[in-house]
Amino acid sequence: MPTIRFLLAGGEELAVEALNGRSLMETALENSVPGIVAECNGSAACATCHVVLPDQIMSALGPISEHENDMLDFAEAPREAGSRLSCQIKVSDILDNVAVRIPSA
Amino acid sequence: MAEAVKVVDDVTFEDLLANPYPVFKRVRDLGPVVKVEAANIMMVTRFDDIMAIERDPETFSSVNPQSLLNTVIGPNLMRKDGADHARERAAIDPSLRPGVVKRCWAEPMQAICADVISRIEHKGEAELFEDLAAPIAARALCDILGIDGVDWPTMVLWSQSLIDGSGNYSHNPEIARKAKEAARGVESAVNRMLPHHRDNPNASMLSSMLQAGQTTEQIYANIKVAIGGGLNEPRDSILTLILGLLQNPDQLARIRAEPSLWGQAFEEAVRWISPIGMYPRRLTRDVEISGTLVREGEQVGLCVGAANHDDRRFSDPEKFDVFREKKSHLAFGAGSHFCAGTWVSRALVSQIAVPMVFERLRNLRLKAPELVRVRGWVFRGPTHMPVVWDA
Ligand code: HEM
Ligand code: FES
Repeated sequence: MPTIRFLLAGGEELAVEALNGRSLMETALENSVPGIVAECNGSAACATCHVVLPDQIMSALGPISEHENDMLDFAEAPREAGSRLSCQIKVSDILDNVAVRIPSA
Repeated sequence: MAEAVKVVDDVTFEDLLANPYPVFKRVRDLGPVVKVEAANIMMVTRFDDIMAIERDPETFSSVNPQSLLNTVIGPNLMRKDGADHARERAAIDPSLRPGVVKRCWAEPMQAICADVISRIEHKGEAELFEDLAAPIAARALCDILGIDGVDWPTMVLWSQSLIDGSGNYSHNPEIARKAKEAARGVESAVNRMLPHHRDNPNASMLSSMLQAGQTTEQIYANIKVAIGGGLNEPRDSILTLILGLLQNPDQLARIRAEPSLWGQAFEEAVRWISPIGMYPRRLTRDVEISGTLVREGEQVGLCVGAANHDDRRFSDPEKFDVFREKKSHLAFGAGSHFCAGTWVSRALVSQIAVPMVFERLRNLRLKAPELVRVRGWVFRGPTHMPVVWDA
């Protein structure tokens, strides 16, 4: 069970135990992580589950779909190099102890 | 012990059409699930309950083969779930993504709005439903779908006929006939356009569905969904946003001074008077909704219009306040059926049409506040809005 460290928009850190195979967005909702709204519940349609990941994780996760890539340009907080939709990322051991930042709008 | 569903039997259908919000408030305070006899439906009206329901599509399914919507337009993505739904949704999304809207649709939508406004600009007076919002919404939709050669009144007629047909619970033969005629009209327009889109792949929804390998049946049905569900809502939200701002000149002044606020103003407009007030889900098992038991096979109406006025979430919900505390609303639904046209609508209404209206129709004001009509509950919006300006 990897531990995910959510860095909240206010600066605090919330470390949660995550289940492999769940999405990062589901993990955030199950732990009431503030700032992950996830209106479309994981369909990559709303862009309200935006997170920012460290560079080395971005490369380890593999390519972003064309749809997600388009969506990310329109998330409320400005896109950064490590921006992803958390609903499109499956929790796995490579996320253990990784800092997942919730960008502030 | 689970509670039984409470019943409201002293509200008329006309009460709902005239103004559903007092009914919604009463129902919301009465219980999480309340049967409203006049509408013959069990209403879910609280924000948190609807959000939770939309996160559990296995229990609260959109699948309903017997639904009138399926009868009228054929099996379509709104009444599918899971992988079947995802495939059809993925086939239309490439035409509706926000980046595609910006690259491909912003310019033609800008031209449509400019043209519609040019036709009335010199007159100093107009009725904004007929003269502005309906033609803009219909013409923009034609471009996005990839349908040429159908004029806007025909699109409006098709859209309304399909909507009426899907709500024709009393089996009125005239309504059924008109819906059938509209369905045939759409099919023949699609047939006429398909060769062009086959030969010239482009960003339109028709082309996108062809590129995704959808069958003609799927194309027919989902184009009808987009015509039935993609015209009224932008039309109504254009009018609602204008109405809210004309009634609140101080808010209008702040937005005009800071145009980045237009987006926020639009979200408040669709929260305030949600163009779609209710949509259904069917239970696949017995379940308690916040302690009230609902049985397998029954249908609940998710009243997003009511949730958007839930005073557990929004303070002074009946007030139009662009500057209220920022919170997500449910006007575009939630979950996997979250409106596919969200990004088109945001661009069309809040970035193009309404800013242009206030830019070009100087000193715009309501002709007389008492002439404004707002009506409907499943679909709600201004139906008559005479205005004047300095021409
Ligand atoms: C302000 C404008 C709009 C509002 C408020 C709105 C609202 C909604 C809502 C509440 C739903 C969910 C229905 C359900 O879950 O059963 C929905 C679905 C849908 N909307 Fe919109 N809509 C708008 C504009 C548009 C436009 C312009 C289009 C097309 C270009 C469109 C196409 C669709 C489609 C295809 C669906 C079905 C999505 C699915 O089942 O996956 N909408 N809309
Ligand atoms: S939950 Fe909507 S895009 Fe991720």
